[in-house]
Amino acid sequence: MRKLDLPNPRKAARVASGALLTAALFCGAAGLIGQTSRDQYRQAYNLWQQVQANLERDAGNGGAPQVAQADRSASAAASFEATRAAYVKSASDDAVRRRSILQNATTRTSPDLVPPAVASLAAGELLTVNKAIAKFTADKDPGIQELRQSLERERVALVALSNTIQTRQGTVAATAQASVALEQARAKAAEAFGDQASQLSRNAALLEMERAAWADYYSKLADAIQNANPPAPSPASAAPAVSPVDISTNAAPTASAPAPRSNSVSPVPLVRYVGEWTFPVVNGTFHGATPVSVALAVRENNGHAEGTLSGRFQPPPGVTDPLVQFTFEGEIAATPTQRFTLKANDGRSGVVELIPGPAFNLLEVNFQMDLRPNKIRSGNFILVKK
Amino acid sequence: MLFLCGAVRAQNAPDLAALEQTEQKRSLEWEALAKDMNDRMARMLPCDPRAMAAVNEVSRASDAWLESLADYLRAASAKAFAETADAKNLLNIEERAAVEVTLERADAGQEQTAVDTQSDALAQSVKQRASLEGPQKLLMEIAAMVRERATVAEQRTISADAAVALLRELVAKFEARDTALREEFAASEAERARWSGYYAARRARAQIECSITQIGTPAPKGRQGKR
Repeated sequence: MRKLDLPNPRKAARVASGALLTAALFCGAAGLIGQTSRDQYRQAYNLWQQVQANLERDAGNGGAPQVAQADRSASAAASFEATRAAYVKSASDDAVRRRSILQNATTRTSPDLVPPAVASLAAGELLTVNKAIAKFTADKDPGIQELRQSLERERVALVALSNTIQTRQGTVAATAQASVALEQARAKAAEAFGDQASQLSRNAALLEMERAAWADYYSKLADAIQNANPPAPSPASAAPAVSPVDISTNAAPTASAPAPRSNSVSPVPLVRYVGEWTFPVVNGTFHGATPVSVALAVRENNGHAEGTLSGRFQPPPGVTDPLVQFTFEGEIAATPTQRFTLKANDGRSGVVELIPGPAFNLLEVNFQMDLRPNKIRSGNFILVKK
Repeated sequence: MLFLCGAVRAQNAPDLAALEQTEQKRSLEWEALAKDMNDRMARMLPCDPRAMAAVNEVSRASDAWLESLADYLRAASAKAFAETADAKNLLNIEERAAVEVTLERADAGQEQTAVDTQSDALAQSVKQRASLEGPQKLLMEIAAMVRERATVAEQRTISADAAVALLRELVAKFEARDTALREEFAASEAERARWSGYYAARRARAQIECSITQIGTPAPKGRQGKR
């Protein structure tokens, strides 16, 4: 698309060489996937910073050298972003793998191993033996005395047995108690790491947006330096620093022809949120409750968004109702992540976050509702645009 | 490597459900014999060989039951201890990962400063070249994204520290569970020895009952020895 607008061959050559350099750096970065480290992406970052040093300062009265520097900076930024994306992905995949052990219930010994009658059986035997001993106590017959001594030894054995039975029952109860405490701690830790996974995916989405934005920035910066130098804008005509702009437009703003503005304050195009979305039939990505089907519709009018979500989930333990249906609305915020208040059909309230996914046709949804028995409370998944 | 070891361990892990089933079967067999042993013996003469046989039968059933109980507890303990080792490994890795997250937060802060510096420089250049106004806005948007990411990095640092703390608690719970299991196993072994002692004493009484009455078959000891 951009090539059609190129005003001269020099610009075409610049874009082509930049693309080649970027491709080479990307390939190098892609090869690093699985073996990237923080040091590697930091090296790439330092290189980028060196390449782009003073570019913005010199852009005001710069020329061809600054255009070339912008192109080199774009390539260095792309390399850095790709190396970091590989690092983040590798770290994230590792984290998911190693934390999977927290998703499984821990081993618990069965509480029904020993028949409950064991203690009473031993007690019954002891009672019988005690009675027999009492019966023979006064009898001086040597044979009976021998039998009584034998009964005494049996009694000693039974008393010791009863004590060990009691001790064992105590240890069984202690193991059960320790297992319950362990299971509670495991569930708590698993939940905490679940929150981390959500933050990681948000981080990855932000990095992806930055990557695209930097590419766009350097391209437009080079174009702007290359353009004929119009007079500096008067303070009155200069756009206020906080004025929002929809970056979905490719039109380069100039003093004579200001860039088209939208009412949206979102830093990413509204098309990344608005529309109809669905959960993919195969290879869907999710965290927490497993979606079976999800349909999401989002509309926008004058910076106000509203939508509906209808989903069916595989009921997790303790949940009998697999359906989730809610509506939501709110103002579009000046952040990539849009957060809205939701109202479920069953009266519950909560929040839903819409996070642009790693590709243009992907949208991450993260919702949480009030806790209610047998109902799904939260969900986190990536939808595909219809 | 950790996960490979885990997979190998899972393949070699004994079937706890099968061991539990065996244990329950053996305990029922023993219970059925043990509860009416004395009633059965009461109906026999002191030197009736069936009396000694009855004690021996219950004693063997008791040994079989307690052996199956030990097998089950041994297997459950092995599985539990492996889980504890995995949790400890996870804690070690997560502690290192939490340090990495702190560094990433510092990186994000550094990037934020760099972008702000670029923005300031470009704001000066816009005064000289109006066409830079567009890139300037883009740079401001990027700065907003970096700021948001720095916020996320901050949240991640807090979450990582909290998660590591929870993991430490979890490892402590794993260790407590293992200690409880060890004690349960030791108590069950002690009980096993006591049951054995009791049946030995019961056998001795049966022999004395026979010897003092001199009634019944003459050589119960010899018969018992052949068993």
